[in-house]
Amino acid sequence: MDWARVWTGRNWERLLVGNLFTNGEVGGLLLTMEIGLLAIILSTVLGALLGILRHSRRRLLWVPAAAYIETLRNIPLLILVFWAYFVPPYFGVQTSKFGSVLGALTLFTAAYIAEVVRGGLLAVPPGVVDAGRALGLSRSQNQLRVVLPIAFFNMIPALSGRYVVAIKNTSLAFLIGLSDLTEVGKEISNVLMTSPVEVYVTLMLIYFSVNTLISHAMRLIETRRRFGRIFVRL
Amino acid sequence: MTGFDLGALDRTAYVLILQGLLMTCKLAAASLFWAALVGVIVGTIRWSKLPAISQLCLAYIELARNTPPLVQILFWYFSASVVLPEWAFMRLRNAGYEFSAAVVALSLYHGAFIAEVFRAGLNAIGRGQYDAARALGMNFWQMMTRIVTPQVGRLIAPPMVNEAVALVKSTSLALAIGVAELTYEYKQIDNFMFRGVEALVVVTALYLVLCLILSQLGRLLSNRLAARHTAIIEVTA
Repeated sequence: MDWARVWTGRNWERLLVGNLFTNGEVGGLLLTMEIGLLAIILSTVLGALLGILRHSRRRLLWVPAAAYIETLRNIPLLILVFWAYFVPPYFGVQTSKFGSVLGALTLFTAAYIAEVVRGGLLAVPPGVVDAGRALGLSRSQNQLRVVLPIAFFNMIPALSGRYVVAIKNTSLAFLIGLSDLTEVGKEISNVLMTSPVEVYVTLMLIYFSVNTLISHAMRLIETRRRFGRIFVRL
Repeated sequence: MTGFDLGALDRTAYVLILQGLLMTCKLAAASLFWAALVGVIVGTIRWSKLPAISQLCLAYIELARNTPPLVQILFWYFSASVVLPEWAFMRLRNAGYEFSAAVVALSLYHGAFIAEVFRAGLNAIGRGQYDAARALGMNFWQMMTRIVTPQVGRLIAPPMVNEAVALVKSTSLALAIGVAELTYEYKQIDNFMFRGVEALVVVTALYLVLCLILSQLGRLLSNRLAARHTAIIEVTA
């Protein structure tokens, strides 16, 4: 084991920010987090929308949502990335690597988050909904102030799991040639040639730290009930 | 670009796709078998709370679940010659080394998830039931087949099926180390026959069908298990 060859200042710099300081190209962990966090935010919005549609009792709303969810959950993300990257040029639309990966990851994660949201909504006891209505809240007030906060806290553990998966899935970016954390690690390993174990263990440790951080942050939100106030302010 | 035409995929392309499908199925079946084995063993150890070894299993589960499967595949592929003892590596290399590396990586990755599912299933049965079974004079095997399996089976069947579907989807990542599975064959057709979009449509449809069949079979199994609400008790006069 020769960690000194892998853990040089230059290698750490490339792993963390890519070539940001030499030629201004963002890469490494910074790019991974950029894709990951953007995908998490966008897919949460899209997933919440889909989940609410899926929960609806109107056939016109839940059937398309269910079709979307079932399709996206049953094809590999990698295939979706290829769709986003190789198919639009066929119709004369130019694609960027960053946009394709971000788009595919968002659409894919949204399908899973939709199921989480639906599960959270189903888990709200019907008595609570009736109680809100009986107190004279309008249907929308009831949804926003009573149902959503309860559902939100129910959903946090499952959501945090999906977020970790989203961060893990950003590693697919390297398969279409984006210089994310995995790609930088692979390049370093190729140059050194003799220390694959050290390089890949380093990669795993970085991913592990980031994901553990996300899980802990989500757990913190779960224990602080005052985060529920965001729904009251809406 | 020329128009979309599924007929443009010739016989060779379809043969390639079918070979890829076969490889995907083989990879998924092998990984699923080993993942289930790893999951059951590690899950039982975690449930039993044996002092040191249980902590070790927890470390493995956390590490496997929080790192990308793709990085794990690359790790096992490129580090195999260093990590494994020489005789084991030589044997692996002769048996087609990309395939083995992918199986090892995927079964360790999904094994960690299955272990947690299995542990949750075992935890769902109150400790009192185990004591009661013991008090009734059941041996370990009887306890497992009559008390544990009928109850745990229907609890863990749905998450296990989800995991199996996830595993089939993960096999597409083996493309990164050159296992000739379905996604790899799509890339081949794209590179050498320039019929990428048609091949992509066919490959996507195949994945969709494969995963849907798997989840329907799983649903059937879950329903059958759920129908049996209680353990089968043989009454002898």
